[in-house]
Formats: sequence, structure tokens, C-alpha cells
Amino acid sequence: MKIGNSAVIALSMAALLAGSSSAALAADFSYAEAAKPYAGKTIRVLDEVTPLQEVLAKIVPEFTKETGIKVEYELLNHGEVINKGQADMLSGRGYYDAVMLHGFQMGQMLEAKALRPIDDLVKNPALSNAKLETADFIEKPYKTVAFHEGQQYGFINWNYNTVYWTRADLMGDASEKTAFKAKYGYDLAPAKTIEQMRDIAEFFTRKKGEALAGQPLASDFYGITFEGIKGQGALFNFVSNILRNYGGDIIDADGKPTFDSPATVEALKMYADLWKFAPPGTAEYSLIDVPTVMGNGIAAQAIAFSDFVLGVDKPGASPLAGKFTYGAIPVKAGMDSKFASADAEPSLTVISANSQNPEPTFLFLQWLVEKKQQEALLDAGAGGVPVRESSWAMPVMNDGNLKPLFGAMKASLQVAQAKPRMPLYLEIADALSAVVQKVGLRQLTPEQGAKEGQKVLVGLCDAKCTL
Amino acid sequence: MAAVTDTAMSQPAPRIRKERFWYPYLLIAPTMITLVIVSLIPFLYAIYLSFHKAKYGRVGDFIWFDNYAGLLADERFWSAISTAGIFVAIAVPVEFMLGLAGAMVLNHGVRGRSVLVPLLFIPTMMAPIVVGLLWKIMLAGSWGFISYNVLERFGILGETSIFASPHLALGALIFVDIWQWTPFMMLAFFAGLQALPLGPYRAAAVDGANGAQIFFRLTLPMMSPLLAVIGLLRLIDAFKVFDTVFILTGGGPGIATESPSVLAYKMTFEFWNIGEASALAVLVWIAFFVFCNAFYQIAKKRLNAF
Amino acid sequence: MNATTGRSNPLWTVLAVLYAFAILFPVIWMASMMFKPADVMFARPTVFLFTPTLEHFDYVIELGFVWNLLTSFLLCTISTALVVLIGTPAAYAFARFEMRGKDDLFLFILASRMGPPVCLVIPFYLIFAKIGLIDTFAGLTLAYMTFNLSFYVWVLRSFCRDLPVELEEAAALEGWSRPQIFRRVVFPLLRNGIVATAVLCFIFAWNEFLFAFMLGGKTVQTLPVAIPKLITSQGVRWGEMAVVGIVALVPVLAVVIALQRHIVRGLTLGAVKG
Repeated sequence: MKIGNSAVIALSMAALLAGSSSAALAADFSYAEAAKPYAGKTIRVLDEVTPLQEVLAKIVPEFTKETGIKVEYELLNHGEVINKGQADMLSGRGYYDAVMLHGFQMGQMLEAKALRPIDDLVKNPALSNAKLETADFIEKPYKTVAFHEGQQYGFINWNYNTVYWTRADLMGDASEKTAFKAKYGYDLAPAKTIEQMRDIAEFFTRKKGEALAGQPLASDFYGITFEGIKGQGALFNFVSNILRNYGGDIIDADGKPTFDSPATVEALKMYADLWKFAPPGTAEYSLIDVPTVMGNGIAAQAIAFSDFVLGVDKPGASPLAGKFTYGAIPVKAGMDSKFASADAEPSLTVISANSQNPEPTFLFLQWLVEKKQQEALLDAGAGGVPVRESSWAMPVMNDGNLKPLFGAMKASLQVAQAKPRMPLYLEIADALSAVVQKVGLRQLTPEQGAKEGQKVLVGLCDAKCTL
Repeated sequence: MAAVTDTAMSQPAPRIRKERFWYPYLLIAPTMITLVIVSLIPFLYAIYLSFHKAKYGRVGDFIWFDNYAGLLADERFWSAISTAGIFVAIAVPVEFMLGLAGAMVLNHGVRGRSVLVPLLFIPTMMAPIVVGLLWKIMLAGSWGFISYNVLERFGILGETSIFASPHLALGALIFVDIWQWTPFMMLAFFAGLQALPLGPYRAAAVDGANGAQIFFRLTLPMMSPLLAVIGLLRLIDAFKVFDTVFILTGGGPGIATESPSVLAYKMTFEFWNIGEASALAVLVWIAFFVFCNAFYQIAKKRLNAF
Repeated sequence: MNATTGRSNPLWTVLAVLYAFAILFPVIWMASMMFKPADVMFARPTVFLFTPTLEHFDYVIELGFVWNLLTSFLLCTISTALVVLIGTPAAYAFARFEMRGKDDLFLFILASRMGPPVCLVIPFYLIFAKIGLIDTFAGLTLAYMTFNLSFYVWVLRSFCRDLPVELEEAAALEGWSRPQIFRRVVFPLLRNGIVATAVLCFIFAWNEFLFAFMLGGKTVQTLPVAIPKLITSQGVRWGEMAVVGIVALVPVLAVVIALQRHIVRGLTLGAVKG
């Protein structure tokens, strides 16, 4: 007790000291002061439109008020930001000072030398806020997306991630629970392992007329849904959410293709199994479909980007709002926890190599990821995907009925990483997703898929797929 | 046609074609200059790019025909060409026939035509991206209006959905194209029918010609220039189909519905292989040029269409 | 042929109305989505009757789609007017006069429409970026010429062929000058061809996406470019998309309705020919 007390006192002393020293430091840095040489300048920033960014757009004028730096903040759709942002940076036009970049674009853009490293700006005491608390950024996504070969290219701005999404009402239904236990020998609950997810998917796949939670079904019902349209979204749903949990990957640590491993065959078997319990249109399902399918009660579970949920699980958006629950991406049973993996797309706003205003742009990027702005953003958006660890403790992330969702996000982001730095990322994704889709459609066996996929990879980048 | 106009002539007039020789060139000059600027220059630039390594849009080494050789050896390129070939071969004739039939019906006099014409024309007026989403709403697997209320209710498809099955997906895309562009043909042909001179019809009525005779001897020959032009333009556009494919299937499943434009989009905006994309543009352009030239010569001689 | 008498046939009318309803069903369905609450948008079983809501309009207005609509309208009107101005004399010349290398020149015009725009947009972008034409009205107006000018000249030329040459010759005998003949004889006769072709050009411009997207920007953002903003990572804003999709029809419909009396045969042409 005594020891405890003195420890508390010592701690609070330390806190006081730290507080006073940070106060001294904070006095050293202010945005108004740092921005003085750049007041009146205009910077142009291109970002991707989601409801959260629309909230951000309303916070941006605060920066101008504080610093006198004008910001033209432009929002475009996902695909448009990629096309237009890359065209601007690659052509050398340099209209945008900063552009939002997904992790998967980094390989291409680094190879093209289109990005400006920010190390000099970070080290510049006149520009850099020592109290930015970068250690508070959710570590793995930040470390894997913002750095390359010892150089830093930005902070972290968006933490898109996938979660396991299911129906609490079905999981809690007494008759379903009894039937499930009788069939599989364990209790029905949101899946923790991929095997459980498969069993639940099989269990809930039913035809029109059969009963679901005691009610006869007016239409067919499916056990699971996920993106299956050809492209990188569907491919990395397989790679990051299943294959890596099986201990496999598309490339090894040296960047050499390793798609023909036994782990791939096992993972593809599971993947093909899951397709059996998914709606017949899985091969056309994109981000347009998955939220619609879940929101209208066509499937029992989904593996999906957590943003989808924010658009569906709210009153008025879906007849099932409030009846969902969430979890971390299920892992392979019996595997070491170091293999746990969840698909995510950590994204950052980079400074274009052609930018004429790197300093004020840097100030803006830094300001954006300040705790204060991040919290204001989450508050105004009634929750969202955070980039800071400390945000998890905010009331808005804990009080609402989306608390299980934020818990699931947290679990996913703990193991989430940016995509490998592959200059040919999109060629690889395009070709490999066709192979994986064929396995799902049963046009290839898992063995053939692994072999075919390896052939595709070797054809594109034989010795080293990464930078 | 010549006979028709000749009958209306009362006396020989000085031939108007004997104009000062530069006059017609003066009339076409603004068009030609504009097209050289907005079309020829970018195209020449594309040709220049196609002979270079131009990854990321930065012009690199001159590599002769490597981009072309790479494309021609790529089975994906040929698959895209044949997909577009099938697409055009089915969609355009159907649009043409339906459009002509519709135009004839409208021309025959339909009550409330001033309301019907704009309404019938709506599919062509819609932005292609909206057309794509509209048909997604109708045909999407499981949740689409028609998928759910027709296909699923009567158990028509079972194990697959329209856009997840290669042949059905292509068929559906063709159907959407027909839906979108038949009204375009209809309006163009209708305007053409409305612009035909009435004299010959009056003469034919006096001669007691029947409907079929009038159609084949008068309407069709007089309409042939417009039919040929609209058909050719639609054919060129249909071959370049992009938006609806992009939204509804993304070119899949596999590469079953990948059109040359979708492939070119990937080369450009995903792979940033501008040299190869430019080579594709040039190849498509050459193919069209040869085709259009042949079509033009034949249509000019046989149909007197130009 | 009833064309001469203009009498309507009830059978055809019924057929045309049925056909119109069949092809317009998806559009009508989308129109209903404008007022449909999100939670019953795709409910199973399909909900046909619902309490209408106006909430989808709020977001569309807030996002400034009205401004996109105006931009589109202005841009399409200007570019179409330019096409008519530049293209009409050319179409007439190709139909009426002999020229050396006429066929080649005529094919050259069509050739500008042959390359896939997806491939050409980057060359355009690179050139426009160099000369500072990106995100300007002038730049997009120019770019729209690539597909519309060739279309216009080719289509209008086939209308020109139907012009009776005698009238021009008569006018020439009267001693009218070339521009006078063109303005007072050719142009009135050609009016419905011009209007019909221009309407088609207007629609091509109205729906164009790729050039408008890559060569436009924050200042010049047309409606088709604004629509993808409704497809977010939180799913599609279906109701809002329906609003924009249907509202975007209104100006084009207005143009067609306003101009269709020029497309449908007036008395003039018949009178002249008679």
C-alpha cells in the first residue's frame, strides 16, 4: 500500500514534469508561427470522398484561419483520385501539392520517383511539431505505409480495414443455436476461426421456403458474402484475410513469388468452399454489392471493409440496422498468432515531387494528423476509422451501438499492414485475381490455381516483385 | 434520286457546281483546321508514344515496334478484339433494324408523337455511368429487381448470376447497349424520314404503288446516305464500348467481357504503360481506317450513299 | 404512305406506347428511388408502396450538383453551337461541290473519331498540361470537337444531299451572292437536319465522361464527373444517384422538346417542293 502510494506520487511527479516540459516545447511550436513565411500561399490537396472526408472538408478552413495558408481541398471518388492524382504526379504537371495515396499505389509511385520524401521537413524544427506524438499512430499500418528504405513519405491519414460482419439476431436465436450445436458439436457464436466461419456459412445457406430463425424464408439466403469481382479488392480479400492466415503469401520476404506453396492450395480449398455458400453472383460483387446484400438480409456473414458498415448499420439505412455484430477477421485454427492477418488499405497523403510548396503543404499534413483534428473529425462524423491509438478511448467510439464494430477495427488494425511495394502491383492483381476467381467459380482446382497463379507471377516478375 | 430531282426541274439552269474552285475549300477549312489541331496532333503524339517505352507517361527509349509486337503476341488483346467483334456484330444490326422500324412507325403518324418522341429517346439521354448503375439495380445477382423478382422467383438461373456467367454477361451487356442506343438510331432515322422530299411520294401515290414498293424503291434509296452514315458511326462507337462494361462486370468474369477500351483503360490508368496503350489506339485506328475506307468505297458505288 | 397526310394510326399508337413503357420501366423504377427511404430501397420482398421522402435531395443540393448541372449545360451548349457554326459549311461543301481529294478529306474527318478515347486522353492530358488548358472551358470545348465535329459533318452531309439544287440555281440566277444563298435558301431548308444532328451532338457532349474528367477539374466539373462521388467506400448513395440521374435528364428533355418541332416536318419543305 505504501509502496503503491509512493509509486503513484512518483508517477504523478513525472507526469507533472513531463507536462511542464511539453508546455515549454509546445510554446516553441505553433502553426501560426511556423506558417508565417507561407501566409497567403495556396496549396492544393486531392483526397478521396467518403462521409468522413466530407466532415474533414468542413474542418479544413480552421487551418486557414490558424495559419493564413489557403487550402483548395478537392474530393473525388476512389477511382478518380487514383487516376487523376497519378496522372498529375507522373506527368510532372504538379497541380496538386498533396495527393491521397493508397498503400498499394506506393510501389508504382516510388519507382516513378513521383513522391517527395519529407525527412528534411520532419527534422526542420521551424516546421516540425515535436509534440505530434507519432508514437500514437496505430503502429503497423503507419510503419508499413509511410516509410520506404529509411525515408518517410507522409504520416497516415486513412486506415481502411476489413472486419468480420455478422447477424447478432441469428447468432442469438435459440432454435438456430440448438440446431447448430447438434450438427457441429460446438456453440453457435460469431466466428473466431476461418473453420467456424465456414461452418456457419454452410449452416445458414438455405433455400426459399426453409425456416430461418423460425420464420419461413421468402427468398434464398446465403451463409456469407464478400467481393468477388475481378480486381485487387477481391484478390487481397483472399490473400490478406485467408492466405496469410494459412501461413502463405504471394511473395516471400525477398519479393520472390511463392504462390505455389502447400499453404496456397489449402487456403484456395477453403476459399472455394466459402464461394459455395455465397450468393451466385459473387463473381460480379464489388463494393457496390456487398453492403447492399448484407443490409437487405441476403447473407448471414460478410468479410468487408468496415466503411461499408458505417453506411449500412445506422437507423434508416437498413431494415436490419442494430441487428449486426462484428469481430476481428477470423484466423486459421491452430496457427501461431504471428500469422494473424487482416486486409487493410492504410493510406497517406503524400507531397508530390513537383510541388512548389512543400513546406506549407507539410504544415497542413502535420496539422491534419494532430490529435485535436483527428478527435474533432471522429466526433463530427459520429465515429469512424481512426489513425491514432488514443482515439479508441474516445466516448464516440465507445458509447454508441457501433462499439463492437470499433472493437473489430481495432483488432484488425493491430495486424494490418500496407500492401507490399510492388511496382507491378496492379498488373499482378489483375492477372492473379482472374486465377483466384476461377478457383471460386470452380473452373480451376485449388492445385491448378496455385500453379497457374505462380506461373502468372513468375511471368510478371521472376526474381523480385518488390522494389 | 437523280431522276427524282430531274423531274422537278423546269428548265436547265447554270450548274451551280461550277463555282470558283477555292470556294468549297474555304467552306471546309474551319473544320479541317480544327480537326488537325484537336485530333491529328494528339494522334500523332500517340503514334510517337507508341514507338517509345513510355511507362508512367514519361517518354523513354525509342523501341521501334516492341509495343506493337507485345500487343500482337498477347492473347488478351485478341480476346478483347473478338469480344468487341461479337458485341458489334449482334448489337449494331439489332439497333439498326429496331431503330429503322421505330422511325417508320413514328413517321406513319402516331398520336401524341410530340410527347412520345422525347420519352422514347430517354435511354440515349442518360449518362453512361447512370445507365450502368441502372442495369446493376435491375440485374445484379440476388438483389437486382429483375434478378430477384423474375430469375430467382422462377428459378431460372440457379447456380449463377447474369454478370457472373461469361456468356450471359456478354449477352446482358449487348442487351444494355441495344437498350441505350436504339433510341439514338430511331431519332436519327426519324429525322431523316421527316426531311425526305414529298414530291416523289405524291408521284408514287398517283401511280398507285403499294407500301412495299414505296419502301424499297423510294424510302430506302433516299434514306441510304443517312442509314449508311449512322450505321457506320454507331459501329465505330459500339466497338469502343467502355462505361457499361466497366461498371457492370469490370471486364470479367475472367476476361470474358473485356473490350479493347477496358483493356486500354487498364493499360493506361492502372499499369501506366502509355506506350502500349498508344500502340493499341493506333492498331484499332488502322483497323477502322481500312474498314471505313472499304465501306465508303462500296457504299459509294453500290448504294450511292456518299 | 400516311406521311403525306399525317393521319395517325391507333394500332401504331398503342404499339408505340407499349414499347415506350417497356423500355422506360427501369427509368421509372429509378425515378421512384428518388423518393424511396434507404431502408426499403432494395428490401426483399420488393417494396412497391412506401412513404416518400425528400432526404435524398438535400445531399444533392448540399454537394452543389446544381453548379455541375449549369457547367454541363453551358459547356455543351457552347461546344454544340461551335460545332454547328464550323461544321455546317463543311457538310454542305462536301455534299454539293467537287473537290480534289474529296473522299480522302472526308475520311480524314471520320478518322478523328476512330481511336478509342481511353487511349487518347493521356496524350491530350500531356499536351493540355504543357499549354495550361486543363480545367478550362476552352480546353474542354476543344476536346469535345474531336468526337462531335466529325459526327456532325458526316451526318449533316447526308441531309444536305436531299437539298434541291434547283432552288440554289434559281437564286443564283436572281443574282444572289453565295453567302446570301447559303443563309436564305440552304439554311432554312437544312434546318431540321441541323437541329436533329445538333441535338445528338449535344447529348454526346452531355454524357461525355473521360475527357471531362481528365481535362476538367475543380473549376470546370461537368455532371457526369460529379456522379461517381456518390459511389463511396461506404457504399452507393442510391437515392441521391437516382435524383442526379433523373434530374440530369431534364435539361436534355427540355432541349429535345423545345427543338423537336424543327425535326418534325413543318409545312415549309412540302410547300417548297410542291
